[in-house]
Amino acid sequence: MAGPKSSSKSSSASSETSAAIATLWKSYLDETPDRLKFIDAFLSFIVLSGVLQFAYCVLVTNYPFNAFLAGFASSVGQFVLTASLRAQVNPENRSEFKDVSPERAFADFALGSIVLHFFVFNFLG
Amino acid sequence: MPAAYPLPTDLSPTTVANTASLLRIIALALISSAAIASRLFAVINFESIIHEFDPWFNYRATRVLASKGFYEFWNWFDPTAWYPLGRVVGGTIYPGLMATSGVIYNILHALNLPVDIRNICVLLAPGFSAFTAWATYMFTKEMKDESAGLLAAAFIGIVPGYISRSVAGSYDNEAIAIFLLMFTFFAWIKALKQGSAFWGTIAAVFYFYMVAAWGGYAFITNMIPLHVLVLMLMGRFTSRLYVAYSSWYAIGTLASMQVPFVGFQPVRTSEHMAALGVFGLLQIVAFGQLVRAHVSSKQFQGLLFAAVVFTGAIGFFGIVGLTYKGWIAPWTGRFYSLWDTGYAKKYIPIIASVSEHQPTAWPSFFMDLHFLIFLFPAGVVMCFRTLRDEHIFVIIYAVVASYFAGVMVRLMLTLTPVVCVSAAVALSSLMDAYLDPTEPEVEDEKKESSTPASVVAKSSTSTTTPATPATGKKSKKSKDKETSAPAGGVLGELVSNVASSAVAANSAAPTQKGIFGLDTRVVVLLNTIGMLLFFVVHCTWVTSNAYSSPSVVLSSTNSDGSQHIIDDFREAYYWLRQNTAEDAVVMSWWDYGYQIAGMADRPTLVDNNTWNNTHIATVGKAMSSPEEIAYPILRKHDVSYVLVIFGGLIGYSGDDINKFLWMVRIAQGVWPDEIQEPNYFNRGEYRVDSEASPAMRDCLMYKMSYYRFAELFGSQQAVDRVRGQQVPAQGPTLDYLDEAFTSENWIVRIYEVKKDDVLGRDLKIANAFDQGKKRKRTKPTSRRKAISA
Amino acid sequence: MRLLSSAFVALLAFARLSFAASSSGDSVLVLLDTSLDRENYSIFFGGLEKRGYSLTFRAPKDASPAITDYDVPNFDHVIFFSPEAKSYAQDITPQSLVGLLSEKTNLLIALSPKQTPLTSLATEFSLILPPPETPLISHHPARSERPTTIPVAVSSSSPLLTPGIPPVWFSGAPHALGNNPMLVPILRAPAESFAADSTDDTGADGIVDATEKGGEGLWAGSQMGLVTGFQTNVNSRVVFAGGIDLFSDEYARKELPSGTPSGNSQFARDIATWVFQETLTLRIDSVEHHRVNQTEAPEMYTTNDEIVYTAHISSYDSRTSTWKPYSGIGDLQLEFTMLDPHIRTSLPPVPGSPGTYQVQFRAPDRHGVFKFILNWKRKGYSYLSSSTTVPVVPPRHDGYPRFLSAAWPYYTGAISTSAGFFLFAALWLAGDVKGERKKVSKAE
Repeated sequence: MAGPKSSSKSSSASSETSAAIATLWKSYLDETPDRLKFIDAFLSFIVLSGVLQFAYCVLVTNYPFNAFLAGFASSVGQFVLTASLRAQVNPENRSEFKDVSPERAFADFALGSIVLHFFVFNFLG
Repeated sequence: MPAAYPLPTDLSPTTVANTASLLRIIALALISSAAIASRLFAVINFESIIHEFDPWFNYRATRVLASKGFYEFWNWFDPTAWYPLGRVVGGTIYPGLMATSGVIYNILHALNLPVDIRNICVLLAPGFSAFTAWATYMFTKEMKDESAGLLAAAFIGIVPGYISRSVAGSYDNEAIAIFLLMFTFFAWIKALKQGSAFWGTIAAVFYFYMVAAWGGYAFITNMIPLHVLVLMLMGRFTSRLYVAYSSWYAIGTLASMQVPFVGFQPVRTSEHMAALGVFGLLQIVAFGQLVRAHVSSKQFQGLLFAAVVFTGAIGFFGIVGLTYKGWIAPWTGRFYSLWDTGYAKKYIPIIASVSEHQPTAWPSFFMDLHFLIFLFPAGVVMCFRTLRDEHIFVIIYAVVASYFAGVMVRLMLTLTPVVCVSAAVALSSLMDAYLDPTEPEVEDEKKESSTPASVVAKSSTSTTTPATPATGKKSKKSKDKETSAPAGGVLGELVSNVASSAVAANSAAPTQKGIFGLDTRVVVLLNTIGMLLFFVVHCTWVTSNAYSSPSVVLSSTNSDGSQHIIDDFREAYYWLRQNTAEDAVVMSWWDYGYQIAGMADRPTLVDNNTWNNTHIATVGKAMSSPEEIAYPILRKHDVSYVLVIFGGLIGYSGDDINKFLWMVRIAQGVWPDEIQEPNYFNRGEYRVDSEASPAMRDCLMYKMSYYRFAELFGSQQAVDRVRGQQVPAQGPTLDYLDEAFTSENWIVRIYEVKKDDVLGRDLKIANAFDQGKKRKRTKPTSRRKAISA
Repeated sequence: MRLLSSAFVALLAFARLSFAASSSGDSVLVLLDTSLDRENYSIFFGGLEKRGYSLTFRAPKDASPAITDYDVPNFDHVIFFSPEAKSYAQDITPQSLVGLLSEKTNLLIALSPKQTPLTSLATEFSLILPPPETPLISHHPARSERPTTIPVAVSSSSPLLTPGIPPVWFSGAPHALGNNPMLVPILRAPAESFAADSTDDTGADGIVDATEKGGEGLWAGSQMGLVTGFQTNVNSRVVFAGGIDLFSDEYARKELPSGTPSGNSQFARDIATWVFQETLTLRIDSVEHHRVNQTEAPEMYTTNDEIVYTAHISSYDSRTSTWKPYSGIGDLQLEFTMLDPHIRTSLPPVPGSPGTYQVQFRAPDRHGVFKFILNWKRKGYSYLSSSTTVPVVPPRHDGYPRFLSAAWPYYTGAISTSAGFFLFAALWLAGDVKGERKKVSKAE
């Protein structure tokens, strides 16, 4: 997801954009709670894994297509579930998620992930 | 506060609440039993039998599942269908229905209740209709309140549009699919409201069940993304939306690919691309939101613009390129026929030939929905009044389903739930207004200043009573839709402007208009109750008369009013089962394939799973060709018996001669040089009497239908009662087929294909010889003459 | 019921096999015209009786013994030595004779230049008879007999005749052969012979003219048959002989113009052994099919299976009245067919195991209902045909290759994600306690 952004910035007014990126990064470091950073670390790991699989699929082979789909979907699915968790536990979004306490959010996240992985492994073989 | 009628005041709120919930449970139970009971007409009028065509296959498949277990079913290859191609059943069906019955069967047997699998199949649809009523209740409850939910449940329980597909014995995918549809939507709304991954997962799991159960799952696949897209365009993007959709899509898509018949379609075909695209878009928007939270707005806009243009271009060209390269299958013909109603008739006659794929006739809307169809627009308007996210869903659903229902009769089924929901919302608002005991005071300070956008009592369009805000006896959460609108919400602004201006106009009306006295209330309420009663009467009548016929068994009324059962189909199928070799291939038009397989247990050439157009066209060609052309086709396919349906004697209009032109058209699609539709007309008229065209008179179908028909009438003129035409006294003759069986009322006629002549002669000549006709003297071949010359 | 009765018939036939020369029974009905004397054919009849046949004689117009009772034939073979009979008893019509053939009764029919009911029967076998009263005439070789009594050289190409039979005497009508592939030509007319309604040589040109004008082909030359067999789809056999004298004692004893004895008696015997199913009688005893390295036939095959197909064929040996394994067919073919043959392969005999033909092949990569088809039809021999239906199904859901090496990045990806999830969940829960405290303190 970072790919398109970084490439597009060079085409537009580069100095302004790079400044924007810098502010972005700075404000991110300053304002984000540790827990969210922890989630973000996990997210970037998943993105990495997904990108690698996608690259392998495009560059080498997609022959066991179901395996690719399973692997890739597990990355994507885990990513969005984790991102959901991140959104739910983010204190800034407190007002949006009245019905979802952070504990409940984690339980939802765990349930969703378990269902997801069940399907992933069913589809893998 | 004045009241129109006295209310008991000495009740504690808990008592009221408890009583209300008890009443709700009782009401739901009664609705469920009414829903089940009204679907049992078919069993009472006829017997516990599987109906129609497709259910016979489902029934047969379920028996395999019940007797051999799931894995054998999964790998079931049916060599008797589509002979000799065979059918990989496990990979070409939606197994949800059979799996459901199989599970029920196994549970009951584990409980030592030896219920016949047939009875489970027959009663599955009524059983699930009770669940549907419950799911609709839950769904409508999210829209308005419990009372609307109860109304909606009652409507869906007995509305003919849904009963038509779920009477006892109508063991088809739709029987459980509507429940799944409603429940998935309910879970989706719940997920969206709460922003809960849990409900998103539930929605995904039920979506998976739906995918496993019905091809119509594509409706959900496109409805939910459409809803999300509209919400985003309206500037209603929230993290809740992100959570709900992401969890639903990620899990649901992966789960749907577990169904072998669906396979890789979710990433390969255009029908599923909308969901994928919306998913991608949602990720981008979410990321944008995150970034925006951290940077100033000006910088953000620059970033956003570049990113949107870039990714949009990439995505568009990516999809076009992939489609072009054949990675993503373009839309299928069935899908096209949804947009252009003439498309199917032109290019895919096989789709157009199915009666339930025809456009809907207007009366059938009334027939299937009765007065709900009038309340439906009112309900949709009500949704505009309180435009929360879930109301947008109902509106989109209503628009889309209305269109589809107009295009195809069969899709009336998807329209029915939303009609019930909106009608219930409208009706319950009306009732709220007229049952509310509070009378407005002319210059009273209202102690409960309900939010202007809360549920507004809206008179139905048929009455002229002014509206009043309902006093929320249910403490409804005021909606928190004051969401930050990101850039790009132009449409959203527009819509919310419209909505708020409507609300403003409403609330700006000088104080409250209300209902004074009992008289107006009584008049309106009596009217409403009257309509409801008529609705019930109508539903009962339609159900018992129109939708409860198994179509395997017909009935007619004798002159003295008693019922006469016409059981020709089963008579003939059992004849086949008892009197023919087990591997004798039976050829018939595809409508009867499933029934022959199910009841006669014989291999068939084509059946209702119309997956191979060429094979069907082959049968069409055999039926519409003269005998000597048809015979090699029959022999090549090892056909032993040919079965035709003929209604000319008792006036059964659904017979093969009436379907014949479709056979010709389908055959013509594959062999345009040999079969031409105009040849079967006589000066533009489709005739079967002495004026029939030569091609018509020579074709196998005509000959088999009218073979020896005139003899039945003795010296009188033979009349075909379906076409109302006089059949010539000199009937057609058959050389390559033998009449093997004709049922009591001549509805089913079975012919045996003759074997090769023992002397290797052409069968026509052999036949003439057997009848003692003198043969023309033959001469030695001219070869010898040429030598002598 | 029908099955029972046919089993009964088969049982009967089997019982008879033990002492009959024929593979299909030994009871023969001879319809002998009243004008003919049985003694004139004593060599032929005697030969039959010596080989174990029981002959029953009956005049064409006699009502009994009936040929069939209740559609069940009473005799295994019928000889029609009534070439000039104009009418028959009610049970004998061209239709009933075709019916007999489909019930596997064999017929030996002698024709004559006269028009009889049998003439129209011959038409059904795509034999084309010349106009009435036109016997075969030949003036070669020069001889003392009338031109209608002709010595005909026996071609050795027909498999059902003993090789080296001397020429046979013939008198009677020729016939042209239609294009029915079931015809088995046995004896052809000499090249210099022709059919004409007069023995007067002077009118030869007139004959040619007349036939041309009448639109008839010229009834002449070696394309015409004199004795022709026919084998029906159900393997019953018929022989049409152009004249009855062929079988007579007189011709059997008559010397050829060259002074050597004629081949008539041997020829008649060969015809009779063939038509009564003694020679060139083959059958398929059984066919088997199974996967390689298995012995039982599976209920269904999977695509790309290696299939072994075996057929056991035996032929009838009239000397011992038994069926013996027969490995003599070199051109047997097996087809594996679904609508069209997907595989067509030769089915060679297995050396060292008589009567066994076997082939191994790979099932096509196509699922459907296939048939093993053996269809061997050669002139003179019994037809061999067999069709076995088997479904060929796609691999089971767990029959595909799994856990491919090419997919290991995906496996790693999925497993690492799962592991990551568990790690994350554990850390999260561990951190929860701390976070709780932190949150509390923050809130304060």
